[in-house]
Amino acid sequence: MKSILKQHSRASAIATAALAIFVASPALSQDLNALIWCDHADPALLQPFEEANGVKVNVKEFEGTGAGLALVEQSQPGDWDVMVIDSIDVSRGVEKGLFEPLPEDQLPFADLFPEVKMDSSTVVDGKRYGITEKFGYNTIGFNNTKVDVADMQSMASLTDPKYKGRIAIYDYYLPVIGMAAMSLGKKTADLTDADLPAISDVLMKMKANAKLVGEVTASQTALATGEVDILVGGGEWVTAGLAKENPALDFSIPKEGAVLWSQALAMFKDSKNKDLALKFIQYILSPEGQARLATSSCYWGMPANSKAALTDEQKKTLRFDEQPAFLARAQAYPAPSAELDKKMQDIWTGMLQAQ
Amino acid sequence: MNESPPGRLLPWALVTPALLWTLVFFVLPFIAMAALSFLEHGGGQATFDNYRQFLDNPSYWRAMVNSLEVTLTVTAISVLLAYPFAWILAEVVPQRLQRLALVLAILPFWTSYVVRSYSWLLVLAQNGVVNRALVGSGLVDAPLQLANTRAATIIGFVHFFVMLLTLTIFANLKQLSPSYRRAAADLGAGPLRTFLHVILPLTLPGIMVGAFLTFVLAIGDYITPQILGGNNELLMPQLIMMQIGRRGDFPLASALAIILMLVVTLAYLLCARWLKIERA
Amino acid sequence: MMRLAGKLLVSAYALAIYGFIFLPVVVLVLFSFQATSFPIPPFTGPSLRWYETVLADTRLTSALFNSVLVALLSSALAVALGFLAAWGFARHHLPRSGLLRGLITLPLTVSYLIIGMGMLILFNAAGIPRSLVAAGIGHVVINLPLCFAIIYSQMGDHQVNIERAARDLGAPEWKVLFLVSVPVLWPAIFASFFLSMTFSWDEFVISFLLTRFDTTLPVEIWNLLRSGLNPRTNAIGSLVFGVSIVFALLLELAFLRRSRR
Repeated sequence: MKSILKQHSRASAIATAALAIFVASPALSQDLNALIWCDHADPALLQPFEEANGVKVNVKEFEGTGAGLALVEQSQPGDWDVMVIDSIDVSRGVEKGLFEPLPEDQLPFADLFPEVKMDSSTVVDGKRYGITEKFGYNTIGFNNTKVDVADMQSMASLTDPKYKGRIAIYDYYLPVIGMAAMSLGKKTADLTDADLPAISDVLMKMKANAKLVGEVTASQTALATGEVDILVGGGEWVTAGLAKENPALDFSIPKEGAVLWSQALAMFKDSKNKDLALKFIQYILSPEGQARLATSSCYWGMPANSKAALTDEQKKTLRFDEQPAFLARAQAYPAPSAELDKKMQDIWTGMLQAQ
Repeated sequence: MNESPPGRLLPWALVTPALLWTLVFFVLPFIAMAALSFLEHGGGQATFDNYRQFLDNPSYWRAMVNSLEVTLTVTAISVLLAYPFAWILAEVVPQRLQRLALVLAILPFWTSYVVRSYSWLLVLAQNGVVNRALVGSGLVDAPLQLANTRAATIIGFVHFFVMLLTLTIFANLKQLSPSYRRAAADLGAGPLRTFLHVILPLTLPGIMVGAFLTFVLAIGDYITPQILGGNNELLMPQLIMMQIGRRGDFPLASALAIILMLVVTLAYLLCARWLKIERA
Repeated sequence: MMRLAGKLLVSAYALAIYGFIFLPVVVLVLFSFQATSFPIPPFTGPSLRWYETVLADTRLTSALFNSVLVALLSSALAVALGFLAAWGFARHHLPRSGLLRGLITLPLTVSYLIIGMGMLILFNAAGIPRSLVAAGIGHVVINLPLCFAIIYSQMGDHQVNIERAARDLGAPEWKVLFLVSVPVLWPAIFASFFLSMTFSWDEFVISFLLTRFDTTLPVEIWNLLRSGLNPRTNAIGSLVFGVSIVFALLLELAFLRRSRR
């Protein structure tokens, strides 16, 4: 009898689950719908929040602000509660009228590294719409047993024939274009159409030296497995997570400086779950949430909150104590207009197609 | 025919669901996509810009050239490898073992498609098994660059399509009646002439169906080049996905998709006479 | 002598192709038992740690469930629609039959990427959200032409006589359909269902474009891939391989038994 009951209930559970999926049910009210980057998909990060609040966090991964905003535009208002976005692009979302101001008094702004608050892009008309949660550098990642470490202090080495066939390029156009601009002595914030031909030349020279151009995975793998010795655009986000496997992986901030990437959380104006959304942001910015986010399985990065509960070993891997010096030499991601963005994308495509 | 009105309606009732499904979920989306390809990204203005970009930008049409080169190479290599293999399975392997031999030959079909490309990345990596074996046996001094090249993309594709083509060609060979061969032998034809003048022409339709299928599936595939090609060059599906994934530029992606489709249609017309679906 | 050389050549060729076909699978499965974090030589296992990680990952297990569900339901629908249409076209004279049949098989010649994009654009315009259902609809679109073509090609005229006999004995049309035509065409129906299942189970790009949170296994594996070269991917890949083979063997056995009877 008992087993029949059990079987019966299992069958009905499966049937219910099937129905739930196929009768395209609107998201339950205690679901949080988050548009995220892959580091937020780590169960080790989400589960503690889900369990503590008895909710489910639905995540959809995307890459790049353009794609993220396109996803939002294709959705119905209220479909999304929170979004991860480049700090520098928060204002783009505000312009489109997507985001809700954040209550500064309920979030640990005072504990953030001051350089990554990015007021110029996260504050619009006196209201703050985004809080930086994680940051790092797109710079030179390398294997310190295989390259001349002194060479890694200059971006000129990236186009040096000495390293031909030993380089991978991270396949995201904005930071690498930023690096190319910095190697030419340009400021990432001031780029215009006129700078593109020279930048394209640098990219072509890098490509001539490169073995592959890869996304997060492919480039990480190539460096870790010895396929290449240098990763253009790499940084702690590549080397830190792999430090245990391969302690020879390292990164430098060359004399020209590095590109600072910085990701922020923003809340949607049309969210039907603003309380829960705020709770989520508070959790991610809490010392525990920050530590989990910083060491997420997809990629590591510096926590924006200087009080993040990291172990000493984790801090060492992330070079936590050297941050002030690094930040002083870093420049933000380029934040091009739509038109310039398209042109940057085109020189990037040209670089990919170069033989 | 003296069928009653319900009798005349019945055939339509049978075929309408399938027709409607195809119209609503295939033809209509295609029309929507075609319409979108003439719109500006971000604005609603009508424009030919998306198509013009393809023609003006060498790195865009280079993607089409790359796609055609890779796909045609893959199709040719796959047919050449699969035909003798299918022939061995159908003619040399003893009858009672044939089924087993065939199942074995297509077993890796059932690894997930995404995983299959990934496995090739492991095999071909700098420190992967192939390079270890080559270096270990002294055949080469330093590891070859296999992963992240066009060759890797081609190997990944050929792996899949050799299995597919083996299946279609095997089925085709088994349908040949042995009497053809006997007749040819009786007429004094040697094995080579029998093959060239009897077997090959009779299996040509099967080869063409398989080759066309290979062409269509390979030219539209995003995963294999994306995982194995190392982005050292872009193929059309990668260029299309880049427009969607990076900038949400659906109009440009639509235009590129339509251009890709025109090429496939052209290929279809070239092989059309072998591709008719006929009843037994 | 010549014959022996020929035999050797033939065997060597067959072995080489088998080796080529199995090489990635063997590497995949072997390194799923890797003890360290990189699935490349040297082999450090055997260890089951990656299988444990995979089975504990609820995103992967629910994606597995979703994949099975989508494959079953979309294949059933594709076979049903394909069968009815095939029966209609084979047994009745319809005007413009060739054109209409061409329309149904048209999706066969179009890349999945294009089918998925078109649906995404249409659904966006119509305000239909991304979901598993949307992906399932897409899978019917790609499998319906296949089912139709397979079943239609097997509808020989010799079966008409059996159906006519049934009608003469007074069977209504639906009885003819279910009690005569379906059993007679069972192998074709079975084959098309099986093939649809395989294609749906393995389909990536349509699911990738059309799903939101709940997604299918290939998409989830793709996400996993993006987080690094990892024996976890080997483990889930090997699991999928194992399950699919068992499934295929069971079907094969059931089918063999049927056809021998």
